[in-house]
Amino acid sequence: MRVVIAEDNVLLATGLELLLNSVGFHIAAIAGDAAGFLTAVRDHRPDVTIVDVRLPPSFRDEGIRAALQARREHPGLPVLVLSQYVEQQYAAELLATTGGGVGYLLKDRVSRVDEFVDALRRVAAGGTAMDTEVIAQLLANRSDPIAVLTPREREVLALMAQGHDNNTIADRLVITDNAVHKHIGNIFNKLGLAVTDSGHRRVLAVLTYLNGAGQIDGD
Amino acid sequence: MTSGRPWVQAWRGGTYLLGSLVTGIATLLALPLLCHPRLARRWANWHRDRAGRLLETPLAPRPVLHVMGRRAWADPATPRDLLWLPVNAITGVALGLLALLCVGNLLTAAVATPLWWAFAPENRPRLFIDVPVTNWATAFTLGALQILLLTALAYLAFAPIARAHARICLVVLSHSAAEQLADRVAVLTRTRADVLDAHGAELRRIERDLHDGTQARLVAIAMRLAVARRALSDNPRNEQFLEELLRDAHEGTEEAMTELRDVIRSVYPPILADRGLTGALTAVTARCGVPTRLDIDNLDTVPAAVEAAVYFAVAEALTNVAKHSQATTAGVRVSRKADRLSVVITDNGAGGADDRLGTGLAGIRRRVLAFDGTVDVDSPAGGPTTIIMELPCGS
Repeated sequence: MRVVIAEDNVLLATGLELLLNSVGFHIAAIAGDAAGFLTAVRDHRPDVTIVDVRLPPSFRDEGIRAALQARREHPGLPVLVLSQYVEQQYAAELLATTGGGVGYLLKDRVSRVDEFVDALRRVAAGGTAMDTEVIAQLLANRSDPIAVLTPREREVLALMAQGHDNNTIADRLVITDNAVHKHIGNIFNKLGLAVTDSGHRRVLAVLTYLNGAGQIDGD
Repeated sequence: MTSGRPWVQAWRGGTYLLGSLVTGIATLLALPLLCHPRLARRWANWHRDRAGRLLETPLAPRPVLHVMGRRAWADPATPRDLLWLPVNAITGVALGLLALLCVGNLLTAAVATPLWWAFAPENRPRLFIDVPVTNWATAFTLGALQILLLTALAYLAFAPIARAHARICLVVLSHSAAEQLADRVAVLTRTRADVLDAHGAELRRIERDLHDGTQARLVAIAMRLAVARRALSDNPRNEQFLEELLRDAHEGTEEAMTELRDVIRSVYPPILADRGLTGALTAVTARCGVPTRLDIDNLDTVPAAVEAAVYFAVAEALTNVAKHSQATTAGVRVSRKADRLSVVITDNGAGGADDRLGTGLAGIRRRVLAFDGTVDVDSPAGGPTTIIMELPCGS
């Protein structure tokens, strides 16, 4: 699987390269800034991209903007954004682009190699990978409607929002697929959401619900 | 400066002038008593407030004198309080008498015109000061003329004369430029000391967090890795021990990163660095558990420290809204007029927000005051709550 990385910090870039090479990915290019990243994506047509939020020249949110730009140029281009901190606003902006294949993780997660690689593969396959921190922030702020969920349903909701499929959720919580299916039905019922098939659309529905309910759009 | 229809103004001016006559006479009668600085201050402040109300001029409050004895006499504003006593006695009595004469003669004419015949012939009322009224012709002509002239006088002159008296009062009792400067310096000295204290405390907190948290964790990780390297060459190799060491070291790095992130967030919020105040406040309002509307003007360049103060203050205020207010909607409005940044946070909740309950409001106040700003909280029981912050944001 070919990867293009946008990361200006050499330490982290070589670290990522080392890690991904060791699990069988091929690093097509490492770009040090947004323009270089966009060029590399056009040149290499990677299967998945990894983008750091802060890039030169101003080290603000160039990475997010480059990721959004790349997805506008190449609809459905899988993008996994890495950041030193989590900001749900960025997650919302990434999810607002059309098509699946988006991820937003804390850089710390890279050190959990198996989970990181799993997330990267999920994004490459058009799925979603949202950091537990994003979900925790969303859940913390939506106390009222979420309160009707049982603790187990909340766990299922969090894993669903991170982008995991029913099998993984069942494995993680050590319950049967059937039980997961029942929990998900209950969650969608209680929150008044239309039941959608699994995959990106389901994640989107849940995240939009969590994100949108606390917000009035200003004009 | 003074609003209302002309006759309303004339009425207010007239009552003000008659009131001034009363206080002028009272000043003369109570002069020895009023020479006491503290009483003189209260007396002067009362007059100043009254003059401010007439002129509809918002006045900065003048402090009440709390000190006693020589220090009261040495207060820079005391000479003006004492000067006001004779000035008020003279101008108040003189202008007040003018108004009284006008009103008195109006009443005389109003009584004399229809009722002149009811008085005994040697005691007939007199119009135009000294013309006795002896028949209906003089009663009507002179009476109507006197009423007309005096009404015109009151209508035209009461308001400006009252305003003149009020202005004299404000001139006598307002701070001199030097005193205003001295007050300003005193305020700035105090807030600057607060800033330095807050800054120092902040640096100590960051140092403690990094020293006790992150640094200690890195040391622990390094030690585990060092032990693991030695254990690699052990024969036979204790795989389980190695595994434990590496797992602890790995988990240690994750905890260190989490702590470091918290420290960084508390120093300067990353979203503020990424997106500026507008972007950061958008994120904060979107994150609030209560639906919150954000209106933010184009703010131009605002110093980073002020941005951080506003960000933390708004975040804190919205946390309070979500936690305590039971509000269903909230609003944040940020605007800038010249070099003042104004932030208004409203919610439709239960009100009753109080500095003494919890530390949220006190924290907001401390942050804003540190930048020589102001915080006004209006939160009656039953709501709604409005918090208005203003901060200077000039370079």
